[in-house]
Amino acid sequence: MSLEMLLVIAFGGAFLTYLLGKLSPVLRDILAVLLTLVILAIVALFYGRTGESSFMNFLGFNLSLRINTLSWLFAIAVATLGSLSTIFSLSYMKGKERLDFYYLMMLIVNASMLGIVFSGDLISFYVFWEIMSWGTFLLISYNRGPALAAGLKYIVMSIVGSTAYLLGMFSLYASYSTFNIADIASRISTASPGYLLSVLVLFSITFGIKNALVPLHTWLPDAHSEAPSPFSAVLSGILIKMGTYGFVISMYVLVGIKALSHLGHGILSFHFMLAILAAVTILVPTFIALMQDDAKRVLAWSSIAQVGYIILGIAIGTSLGFAGGMFHFLNHASFKALLFMAIGAVEYRTGTRDLNSLGGIIKKMPFTFMMTLIGALGLIGFPLTNGFVSKWLIYKTLILGKDPFLAFVALFGTWGTILYAYKILHNIFMGQLPEEYKGVEEAPFSMKFPMVILSIIIILFGILPGIPLKVINVIGVSLGFKSLAVNIWGIASDTGALNTINIFSAILVSWIVVWLIFKAAPTSLRVEQDNNYAAGSYVPTGRYLYTANFYAPVYRIIKPYVIDVVDIFYMALAGAVRTLCDWTRRMYTGELGSYVMYIMLFLAVLITMRLGFNIW
Amino acid sequence: MDRNNLIKWLKEPKKMGNKYSLWAVYFSTACGVIEVPPVLTSRWDAERFGIIPVATPRQANLFLITGYVTTKTLKAIIRTYEQMAEPKYTIGFGSCPINGGMYWDSYNTIKHLDKYIPVDGWIAGCMPRPEAIFIGVTKLWGMIDKGLATGYIRYRENYDYYRGNQEKLFGSMEWPPLYTLKEGTNDG
Amino acid sequence: MKLAEFIISPILAFIIGIFLMGLSRRIMARIHRRYGPPLMQPVIDLVKLFSQRTVSHGPIFDIGVILSLAGTIALILFIPFGGMCPLEASGGLLVILYIMLFAPLGLALSGGEGANPNISIGISRKFILSLGYEVPFILIVLAVMTYYHTISAVDVVKAQSSFHWALFSLPLFLPGLAYILIIPAMLGIRPFDLASAPQEISSGPMAEYGGKYLALAEIEHAFSIFITIALFVDMFLGGSGNVVYFFLKVLVVFIIGLLINAVFPRFRTEQAVKFLWKWPSVMALAGLVIVLAI
Repeated sequence: MSLEMLLVIAFGGAFLTYLLGKLSPVLRDILAVLLTLVILAIVALFYGRTGESSFMNFLGFNLSLRINTLSWLFAIAVATLGSLSTIFSLSYMKGKERLDFYYLMMLIVNASMLGIVFSGDLISFYVFWEIMSWGTFLLISYNRGPALAAGLKYIVMSIVGSTAYLLGMFSLYASYSTFNIADIASRISTASPGYLLSVLVLFSITFGIKNALVPLHTWLPDAHSEAPSPFSAVLSGILIKMGTYGFVISMYVLVGIKALSHLGHGILSFHFMLAILAAVTILVPTFIALMQDDAKRVLAWSSIAQVGYIILGIAIGTSLGFAGGMFHFLNHASFKALLFMAIGAVEYRTGTRDLNSLGGIIKKMPFTFMMTLIGALGLIGFPLTNGFVSKWLIYKTLILGKDPFLAFVALFGTWGTILYAYKILHNIFMGQLPEEYKGVEEAPFSMKFPMVILSIIIILFGILPGIPLKVINVIGVSLGFKSLAVNIWGIASDTGALNTINIFSAILVSWIVVWLIFKAAPTSLRVEQDNNYAAGSYVPTGRYLYTANFYAPVYRIIKPYVIDVVDIFYMALAGAVRTLCDWTRRMYTGELGSYVMYIMLFLAVLITMRLGFNIW
Repeated sequence: MDRNNLIKWLKEPKKMGNKYSLWAVYFSTACGVIEVPPVLTSRWDAERFGIIPVATPRQANLFLITGYVTTKTLKAIIRTYEQMAEPKYTIGFGSCPINGGMYWDSYNTIKHLDKYIPVDGWIAGCMPRPEAIFIGVTKLWGMIDKGLATGYIRYRENYDYYRGNQEKLFGSMEWPPLYTLKEGTNDG
Repeated sequence: MKLAEFIISPILAFIIGIFLMGLSRRIMARIHRRYGPPLMQPVIDLVKLFSQRTVSHGPIFDIGVILSLAGTIALILFIPFGGMCPLEASGGLLVILYIMLFAPLGLALSGGEGANPNISIGISRKFILSLGYEVPFILIVLAVMTYYHTISAVDVVKAQSSFHWALFSLPLFLPGLAYILIIPAMLGIRPFDLASAPQEISSGPMAEYGGKYLALAEIEHAFSIFITIALFVDMFLGGSGNVVYFFLKVLVVFIIGLLINAVFPRFRTEQAVKFLWKWPSVMALAGLVIVLAI
């Protein structure tokens, strides 16, 4: 199976699905799921393969596809999340309108992401990148209403990013007269640092926008919360990670680790600046997330913050940090997709995702609660989940690299994460079950299945982190990093090792001991939720609900300081541009006379300048 | 006091533990609780016998009912009693809960508290002095020792009787029964 | 020998923790001019609590409290304690930072299923307080890790052998003082007992606990008293190769903390967070800057 065939299957299958939907919706659903599973299987079979092949000659440019371990890692994540979210869509989207279109766009976005990671030159990268951006735009605005505004915000920022990319691409072509990434990489080492820096900054704008790096993040909160939940999972899980892929490609493949280390020194170097941006990306969005009341908005802001960890790890540019960043990309894909799906399941059953009105759903949806719990623990970076290992790697890099302030931001961000992760758990699932949700049922099987797979991944990679770390280590070595002493249970090192198996067994054994003690004591009486202490009085059902304004004292402290200034600035800019355009439009009066007058005035100005000032 | 009797601890740890760790939740109206704070704080220091006040009935095993009991407050008493962890002990405190005290002829005061919840012991007086409270606690220790402080078992076994009385007084109860009622007896 | 450490260190920690709890009640009583309960009172309470039959609100209500204690017991195995550290090469101080999460998170999950408004308020305060003390705590731990250039707790202890105590070294003196200031906040005792304020919100997260649940929570508290102070002893007082010396060091720190605890009223939530973000944080930050400058 060649790469071209994979992309043909992916894109062709998407259109086939659309056409089949006109015949029978059931067959369309089956085909969509089958297609994503086939793609997953093919990508899995590609493991360990490397190679590059040219597939088209376009205007004399040789377009090529290439595969290596780096693109395989991203491709497998794309394929996994693609199939899981398609399965999740089956019942979530049931009964909604324009479903053929929905599946078409879903599969096309999926296929274009595969195209991005497999493309071997800058032009095909750009083509797939644009397909992805526009497909995403159509999916974000699927729900209409406020979703349209969110989609518009996204596509405007995306176009700005694409423009920056085009500039960078053509500047590289002007210098090296090739678009092939490997060719450019082999010749770029002689370039001057200033030139490299300008190319990197241009690419950073593109990928920073997709990756939602502060201050280029403002499209993300609206887009994530307005998109349909299965697509939010893809969006947050893998689509924004295309930006991460872009950062890795531009920093470590194109420019290369050696040339990168000469770009400035000390605090004023490229990676340190990027790391500082990443630190800001962790700190501020974490606390904005804390103040949101819409579950998906919390997760959206949290996505920005978690991306900060990924970029922080990658930007530091040691082998440990790179491994941490790449591993955190995988982990974030798994737990954030899981969380979006779980919230989607709750929204599907209750019809709302407002954190202030839900409560006590655990009694009706215990399975979804368990999944959300695992996802939230991964998000926090709880020991025995995969998020812990990747964050541990990042912290260790920062501490031993004498960057304690960055480490402080990363650790402190984690504590903010705990607060909002628990807020989601508590306000949706804990507390009293309101009367109107008494009839809620558990999520259907097609929602449970993807969530189970993701939660298994989270726990498996948490206890046996060696599995992904070995692959990541291969990538690191191929990019020129030092090899790490990876074991199946973690990482061996002189300056403090990590052994997840030990942690796991310690907690397991103490769990068993405590559980035995617990069982030996008299069995307790199971009571209903309204048999609850209220100073002796009986409070009518539903009146115990106490979830609104959960962290009120913290809100009072941080509210004056945590404002999304960037968004306000962009919106003001957009408003100014709109006013300017309105003014300009007044010129077009629609009368022939005024246009003639403009022409005459212009000519008069030209003549005056020529005669009076002798300008040219 | 046999608190340091190791053999007894090994023989019947449950009984000993309950004796020397009485965690009290107290219900109080009017002047009822006026003598409790001196008992619990520096002057008489009940903590040396392991008696401390706790915040919720879930944590408590000693229920002090101090002050007169009206029909309205009886609900709270029953609710609190039902929420306590077993084994639990109740002490009626002062003459008001015993027989209405100075409110003996009020239409609204409960004169027979033990018709509604089981009471393990009474401390008479208006108000009882702290010394009397300690004497009462000592008596309770003796009862626990001999296995006589069985109010919570009586409540469970005769739940039909207590629930019936409660329903007769209040008309209807807001919360469901704590234990399952036997067939056909809940009409009181 | 190694295997024995796995059993001995939690048991010793439990004994020390329970002893400290009894001692604290006794010393508090003496400060109040009372006689006070016997030293064994916490054990008596535990015996009683385990014999009680109480109520449960659901599976997570049970699992949460078990998780909380299990995590705390596992945490003991990572802490160097009188020459013992059963799991020394498994992630070091960073893992300790994270496993400290088990206790509050377990209690919060369990309390959440308890579905009481008091519990919700208590948990929210507990998390806010933890956000407050984590700022200085992270800075302190980072200062120590940066100074000794390791993330392993055992190495930190080793570097302080033969009386090179960190508390009396120039860069780490201020972080050490900051740690003493935040000990009450980490333990949730006065003046930072706002999470479990019994007079206000009916002991907060533990409002629905009785019997064995309360017993497990009390044991967890005993362990965390020991852990918090043992961490101080390891990071700033050079640990010790000897259990007896280690215990004496713990005892001294504990009594100093207790004297603060006994005479202070309670902070309000915002006051507590502002205090914690001001004084201890500034001290810890100063320490970190000095460490970096040297």
